[in-house]
Amino acid sequence: MTASDQFNISRRSLLALAGVGLATTVFPRRLLAQSGGVLIIAAGQDIPNFDPHTATGYSASFFMRNVYDPLVRISGNPPVPTPGIAESWTVSPDGTEYTFVLNKAAKFHSGNAVTADDVVYSFGRALKLAKGNSWMIRDIVTAEGVTAVDAGTVKFKLAAPFAPFLQVLPWIFVVEKAVVEANLGSDAGETYLMTNTAGSGPFAVARSEVGTLYQLARAPEAWQAGGGNLEGVIWQIVRETATQRLMIQRGEAHIATDLTSEDMDALKDAPGVVSIIEPEYRTFSIKMNTQKGPCADINLRKAISYATNYQAILDAAGYADLMNGPLPKGILGFDANLVAYGTDMAKAKEFMAKSEKPEGGFKLRMFHVSGLEQQRRWALIMLDSLKQLNIELEIVPMNWPDMVAACKSPETFPDLFPVYQTANYGDPDNIAYAAYHSSRNGAWQNAVYKNPEVDALIEAGRKEIDQAKRVAIYGEFQKKVVEDAPDVFGVLERRKLAMRDAVKDYHFTPVASNAIEAWGLSLG
Amino acid sequence: MTTTEHNIADDPGTPRRDRLRRALFRFSQSRLSLLGAAIVAVVIFFTVFGTVLAPYPDQVAGSVDTASRFLAPSAAHPFGTNELGQDVLSLVMAGTTVSVLAGFGVVLIGSAIGTLVGAVAGFSRGWVDEVLMRLTDLTLTIPGLILAMAIAAALGSGFGNMVIAIALSWWPGYARLVRGEVLAAREEVYVTAARALGATPKRILFRHILPNVVSPIIVKMSLDMGFAILTVAGLGFIGIGVRPPTPEWGTLLSISRSYMPDYWWTAMAPGMAMFLAVFGFNLLGDGLRDILDPKARR
Amino acid sequence: MLRFILRRLLLLIPVIVGLTIIMFGIARLLPGDPVALAAGPNATQAEIAALAVEYGLDQPIWVQYANYVSGLARGDLGTSLLTRRPVAADIAAYLPATLELVFAAMFIAVAVGIPLGLVTAVWRNRWPDYLAQVGAIGAISMPRFFLGLLLQLCFAMWLMWLPLGGRLPIVVIPPRFVTGFLTIDSLIAGNWNAFFMSLRHLALPAIAMSLSPLATIMRMMRSSTIEVMQQDYVMTARALGLPSRKIITKYVARNAVSATLTVIGLYFGWLLGGTVLVETVFDWPGLGLYATKAIVSQDMMPVIGVALVIGLLFVFANLVIDLLYGVINPKVRYS
Repeated sequence: MTASDQFNISRRSLLALAGVGLATTVFPRRLLAQSGGVLIIAAGQDIPNFDPHTATGYSASFFMRNVYDPLVRISGNPPVPTPGIAESWTVSPDGTEYTFVLNKAAKFHSGNAVTADDVVYSFGRALKLAKGNSWMIRDIVTAEGVTAVDAGTVKFKLAAPFAPFLQVLPWIFVVEKAVVEANLGSDAGETYLMTNTAGSGPFAVARSEVGTLYQLARAPEAWQAGGGNLEGVIWQIVRETATQRLMIQRGEAHIATDLTSEDMDALKDAPGVVSIIEPEYRTFSIKMNTQKGPCADINLRKAISYATNYQAILDAAGYADLMNGPLPKGILGFDANLVAYGTDMAKAKEFMAKSEKPEGGFKLRMFHVSGLEQQRRWALIMLDSLKQLNIELEIVPMNWPDMVAACKSPETFPDLFPVYQTANYGDPDNIAYAAYHSSRNGAWQNAVYKNPEVDALIEAGRKEIDQAKRVAIYGEFQKKVVEDAPDVFGVLERRKLAMRDAVKDYHFTPVASNAIEAWGLSLG
Repeated sequence: MTTTEHNIADDPGTPRRDRLRRALFRFSQSRLSLLGAAIVAVVIFFTVFGTVLAPYPDQVAGSVDTASRFLAPSAAHPFGTNELGQDVLSLVMAGTTVSVLAGFGVVLIGSAIGTLVGAVAGFSRGWVDEVLMRLTDLTLTIPGLILAMAIAAALGSGFGNMVIAIALSWWPGYARLVRGEVLAAREEVYVTAARALGATPKRILFRHILPNVVSPIIVKMSLDMGFAILTVAGLGFIGIGVRPPTPEWGTLLSISRSYMPDYWWTAMAPGMAMFLAVFGFNLLGDGLRDILDPKARR
Repeated sequence: MLRFILRRLLLLIPVIVGLTIIMFGIARLLPGDPVALAAGPNATQAEIAALAVEYGLDQPIWVQYANYVSGLARGDLGTSLLTRRPVAADIAAYLPATLELVFAAMFIAVAVGIPLGLVTAVWRNRWPDYLAQVGAIGAISMPRFFLGLLLQLCFAMWLMWLPLGGRLPIVVIPPRFVTGFLTIDSLIAGNWNAFFMSLRHLALPAIAMSLSPLATIMRMMRSSTIEVMQQDYVMTARALGLPSRKIITKYVARNAVSATLTVIGLYFGWLLGGTVLVETVFDWPGLGLYATKAIVSQDMMPVIGVALVIGLLFVFANLVIDLLYGVINPKVRYS
């Protein structure tokens, strides 16, 4: 019976294969062992493209931080600027001139040294394309203002004094001029850099599968000091947070970046898992339409601020802290003594009585981003809270593009509009300017709020370079904004990361901490 | 009923009441159809009374109770509570109304558009027929769910928009069915007779032909009901659907996904409700097809 | 026959034109401002305008359409506003995953559905038959995403027998790209480990997708087999004491093939479009996930591209099926 013999053989080999397969699921740690010195990060966001001057999002930030180098990096808690390509720098007394001395060891993946020319070229390219992170230096750095003093020195002449300049530099990356120039095409090399790199970072792209994973390998030329023992890093796209959590639990990934509070609770007692729950500069608040509709009435805004069930907002958020005003706790100039709105129905009714419709009986509209679970929860809590003032709430989930479009004018802006605001750089100017300066009206961070006094304070704050004076300015700013009650100040959501205990030398930095910087990490 | 003349012509020896009795008998012989009818009766009961009978009607309207989040099933909350401390049973009961009405809306609008297109195409023939049927075929080529998603995203969230979006991808089946029936009916003796007697095309279409295609349409509608409910839930699952606080099964299921496996009960009730409702409608639809559309019977 | 094929292929042109017009119309309906979104939260009005010019979105819709169609002729499906990647390249990367899933689901449906159909025909009107009939309606009624979730909960979360999602464990280097089907490519490469791993990843999503077509095939097989068994010539043959098995086998085999073809024709498009939900549950990097992401970002070029590709595949698959009908049944004429 040859047929049955054949079957037996194939069955036997199948069983052997099954053994291999089983081993990797039942003993997941073997899977990680197989990964060698490769750090596996489970993250929800696909890397849109590789161009450091056009791509955005935390996945892109992760990529840039590891494949490219900026002049200055940021680390520590509270975060401070640390050397990148620049090994040292000096600032002129008036804060308008910065001189950077480049590290002579700095090398691109091509083996060529990083020169001042490359730095000048990169800033020029970022400004010319005006995409990605370039907004951070817009109106502050001009193409003419960046010059190469010699091959190893770059000088910036700022268009205006800008206190947080060193805080934004980590987000402008340096490309190799020769490589980009050789592949310029008709679009300043955008097509080329979309899928190729021209960086000097500690890692280089080893494998990329769109929508699935990106693998970086330690660059042979890696010149940076203080590296760990990683041979590579994998950015694996895992869209569902529950799956990310299970992967950490089973040891199929080393770090998960998008976990919810419920996930963190589930991981609390998991063996071999380290939870990182840290405050980060990520505010959540509900903007009100201060220009049109019922909320233009400051008394109604205050009534709503007092009627809000903050405890429920906190419960629904899980690991978070209530805010007391516009600025996140811990940032420069944050005023811990500011008296915030709390749930107080007596006060809410008092302000309601002063408003135009003290009896309520009208309907407000709240938009939220469809699919953002936290925003949906908070919208329901607002519905519940407003009921006590006899106000109805209509909740409209929207796609993000429609939300953005609604911000264009006070007429299209809803009464309540929830906003997450992540500090892209660790300075109060970031949030103050984007979320409360009237020049941002029409954009989603601050569609309608306008107060000339607040504007003046924000402008003074970004020009001032004396720390103590800045603290005073931002103190005044917080008082003014709280008095105006343009937002229901919500919570500061803590950053929730989980990692396997095999990951060594991790230090939390509260700026874009989900865009993991892998160079200093080790696996042990 | 105008159908009588035609049916009598078809089947001269059988009085109408007798046929009805036979149909009912056949239906009652099929235990599965009866089971389907029973499930559908329960579903319709909850469609009407679900919101009223829900143990926590406030929470159906959006109230939250964040102090009692993620409680496991118990006597007070037979299906547990969700991420906002809402009673899952109440949400699922009230969700029946949303899902069934949405499914019915889709089938109704879809069949109305499809019948109109199919009838006009089948009756006018010529280039009108050609154009309409090409459009029908074209719509059939676009994957229904993706088309519905794109339209729903364009229209924005909300119950009505969702129903319209799905209905706009739902009509081609009816158009084809009705056109086929109309083409066949045109050749029937009584239509030829009516035409010979000088009846206008409009009169022939509405008085003589359409009433006769009613029963295959009804069969298709009842068979489609389950799939319409599934599609509504699918859209909700992807996150394009009704607005909160409206409870909808697909949306409930999609939210509960993040809480697996620890809070599995948040997914069970909406998922099972969805399955049972669709199962009931499909059983009933099968039964109806057997009695109303004997041609399709084997 | 060649003329028939050519004519059918020519008919694809109006399909392409019609599809693109419909999808362009929907894109036009969208109220949001995808350009502002793509330009980023901190873009100035001037930058947004510049981006609109760069992508030709400042032009009137018919000019945009003409540009799109002329791009199509060159195999260019436009560029995603959000990722700035060419849509054609994206679809080429995602399509094989979806096709692999669809084919696997079809395979399961045929492999299980046909024997089940035969068995129930033989056991007609006895309890296994009833059970299978109820089961079939149940299978059609089961929401794919709920079934997927249940399978995931059971086999991936509690029992931990199978992976949660994705196509391959990341430590397995995917085989060299030949067909884009990981199972087939790893076989070609002789990489047994990768083959086995990709099968394990494929199992749950394919099962979740296969239920509906499986039930349909089973029901068709059952009724056509019953029909054959009641044919006069089979009865006569039996009555004459001839070995009826041979006759039945022959007819049953043909019925099996034609049922399979019909169901593939019916379900191919449905499955291609319907993978969205299962891909969402199993994090399967296919066209459905790609389209969903694009739809919620109002990034219309990928959506148009996906609709076009699926539409064409659907038409093409039906052409192939019509040709195959002719092969199994020479009475079918191509006209």
